[in-house]
Amino acid sequence: MWQNTMKINQNSSPPTPLHKGNVQNQLNQPNKKSKRKKKYTVHGLSGFPNLLMNILLGSFALMCIFPFLYVIIISLTDEKTLARNGYQILPEIWSFEAYRYLWQMKDQLLQSYTITIVVTVLGTVFSVAMIALFAYAISRKQFKYRGFFTFIAFFTMLFSGGLIPFYIVATQFLHLRNSIWALILPLAMNAFYILIMRTFFQRSVPESILESARIDGASELRIFAKIVVPLSLPGLATIALFSTLGYWNDWFNALLFIDEPNLVPLQSMLMKIENNIEFLRQNSLAGGAQNDLLSAIPQDAAKMAMVVISTLPIAIAYPFFQKYFVSGLTIGGVKE
Amino acid sequence: MIVLLFSLTTLLAACGGGKSANTSGSGKADKNKPYEIMWYTIGTPQKDVDKVMEEVNKYTKEKINATVKLKQIDWGDYDQKMQLMISSGESFDIAYTGGGNYVLNAQKGAFKDLNELLDTHGKELKATLDPAFIEGAKIDGKLYGIPSNKEVGQQSVYVFNKNLVDKYKMDISSISSLEDLEPLLKTVKENEPDFTPLATFKPYLPFDYILEDELPFAIPLEGNKNKVVNIFESDIMMETLKTMHKFYKAGYIKADAATSTDPWPLEVQNWFLRKEMYQPYAELIWSRSAGYDVAVQPMHDPITFNNSVTGAIQAISATSKNPEKAMEFLNLLNTDPYLRNLIDRGIEGVHYEEDANGKINDLPARVESYNMPTYSLGNHFILKLYENDPEDKWEAFKKFNDASVEAPTLGFYFDTNPVRTEIAAISNVASEFAPALLTGSVDPEVYLPKANKKFKDAGLDKVLKEIQKQYDEWKKNN
Repeated sequence: MWQNTMKINQNSSPPTPLHKGNVQNQLNQPNKKSKRKKKYTVHGLSGFPNLLMNILLGSFALMCIFPFLYVIIISLTDEKTLARNGYQILPEIWSFEAYRYLWQMKDQLLQSYTITIVVTVLGTVFSVAMIALFAYAISRKQFKYRGFFTFIAFFTMLFSGGLIPFYIVATQFLHLRNSIWALILPLAMNAFYILIMRTFFQRSVPESILESARIDGASELRIFAKIVVPLSLPGLATIALFSTLGYWNDWFNALLFIDEPNLVPLQSMLMKIENNIEFLRQNSLAGGAQNDLLSAIPQDAAKMAMVVISTLPIAIAYPFFQKYFVSGLTIGGVKE
Repeated sequence: MIVLLFSLTTLLAACGGGKSANTSGSGKADKNKPYEIMWYTIGTPQKDVDKVMEEVNKYTKEKINATVKLKQIDWGDYDQKMQLMISSGESFDIAYTGGGNYVLNAQKGAFKDLNELLDTHGKELKATLDPAFIEGAKIDGKLYGIPSNKEVGQQSVYVFNKNLVDKYKMDISSISSLEDLEPLLKTVKENEPDFTPLATFKPYLPFDYILEDELPFAIPLEGNKNKVVNIFESDIMMETLKTMHKFYKAGYIKADAATSTDPWPLEVQNWFLRKEMYQPYAELIWSRSAGYDVAVQPMHDPITFNNSVTGAIQAISATSKNPEKAMEFLNLLNTDPYLRNLIDRGIEGVHYEEDANGKINDLPARVESYNMPTYSLGNHFILKLYENDPEDKWEAFKKFNDASVEAPTLGFYFDTNPVRTEIAAISNVASEFAPALLTGSVDPEVYLPKANKKFKDAGLDKVLKEIQKQYDEWKKNN
């Protein structure tokens, strides 16, 4: 369910091109300053189609948000009621027990939270910087080996070494085992984002601006920092958002490389609980062993409560990124 | 998506196998420096492991000039992580393993053959183990790991909610088959709307399974014990499933039984009957963790299966730099009460306290930060008893082991390599049909023939033939 809600979040990012269109349109007609648009705007639909569209999109939005609301409801249901009645939209007995349970394990949760946040922030910065630098280099025609480096990035999209070689490289050559870098480095470079950024740089940063900067005597680094980055904020913000989501939701690297309980990120902790329940359910152990172990694992409501507290921050962070999609493009540009 | 990822990774992991460097003999350069034994075991990592290991190391340094580093890997992650470590040839000394994984990895050459080591460095250990364990865990005559000395057989039992049994004055001692249960379930269904009569389980079938429970190849425990059959074609399967389906239609089983992942926690009193694996005095443990009484009625006599003897094994890795030391440690662990109790129960005074009679009680620290799974850590018979354990617990275990009957395939491990693709296809079919059929959710008269047709298409006959061939060969040699 967690995966689903997050996918929905990703899916809901496409509004950006729409905004972009709007903004560019405003730019092209600088004389029309009126912010109050009239009803017969070319972008609007009228009457019945409009209604239909609203209903369609509205119900789609509801479908997206419902699973998450459901998760919240389940997390607020009494555990015994859950066992007896299953999941219900309006449970018989409400209870905050699950959150009280989480409060009891707050040490571990806080630790995992810290790890997740550190990994996400550090990872996003790291990953955006690396991707942007790489993409910028291969986006410029002056760069002699751009074909070669583009190919190197592109190649990894088609072929990968597979899990075992990846594991061997990370543990035996890079010694990433039980280090926070094991959670950051594997996700830092992404060929797909590099290609997106390359195209973005090519489209939105015209050669003539760079040329003017060069005439003024700016160095390449200065050009990148002072001109290219501000001009490409929307693109960078998109990549940053993707990376943030990627880091926040990553549990697989932790599964592979992390044994130390105090280095386990939040999502991985959730996965572990899920996997443990699955394991203990499928492998019947003799005697009382199983029940003892199961009782040490959070029950349904507590699991859902964990989903809630691990999803909320990222859901809240999303609008902050969103503002860049709108405002980014309004800054500067050249007419050709 | 997760499922996809996992299946992909296990696939990859399976492909990368067979690469394990044999580096024994090296690494013994410095005789005086204690060797650090790297030991992986299953279970949620506990906070106090390092603290306990410090105590362990003091003791083992003195006894065998070695120290131990114990690493726990979470229940759900263990198999995959172990698979990765084995495939990538990582060096470690001892690892917990069990069941199908033990067989697979041993056949791949990931574990060290212990036949000789057990004689040279583990004499005491060999003497304490029930011979059925050693014989049963041998693959092609070679022992690849040390089974935990505990109950040797498997016995499925019906567990009843005693409150209801008493309330309606039911006689459960006469129950011997699924049909006998019907009047009881009916009473519960009619009078107790808050209870589901039958906590979802798959019925017991008298088969000795060659691979996993749901894969259709098995040797019948009753009748001709020389022939491998498809369990879904047997009469007993048809009968049992018909009964299950009758129960399902009568509403004794939950409507979503086939797909539900509900673990039916014992503490919630919403069930009347369930199926569990028995070990002596398990009813006491169950009653304790449930908070009310349960009653037990066995479905069959205890049977020693491959699965039950390989249920918990400590294997020595083929990548171990010092297998002799690892064996010495396993020997000590399984024969020395002090060490075994230390690793299992924790430090006396910190994790448990002992009373005048030698019985122990957990202190809060054990429950919170050293809650170790007993079954995976070694010999049970030298463990200290809890205050509320019956005095004769281990004697009862011994009696149980003596009474346990050997299954026909005990010690026979099928080499799946020649028919790997067929087995993969068959296990797909099994996961499609088995949950619905075995929980009684669908009519067996309709779906059993359908399943059997699909099994046939997936290459069942070829697999049966291969199993039969290997089984006959094995029988000749044993």
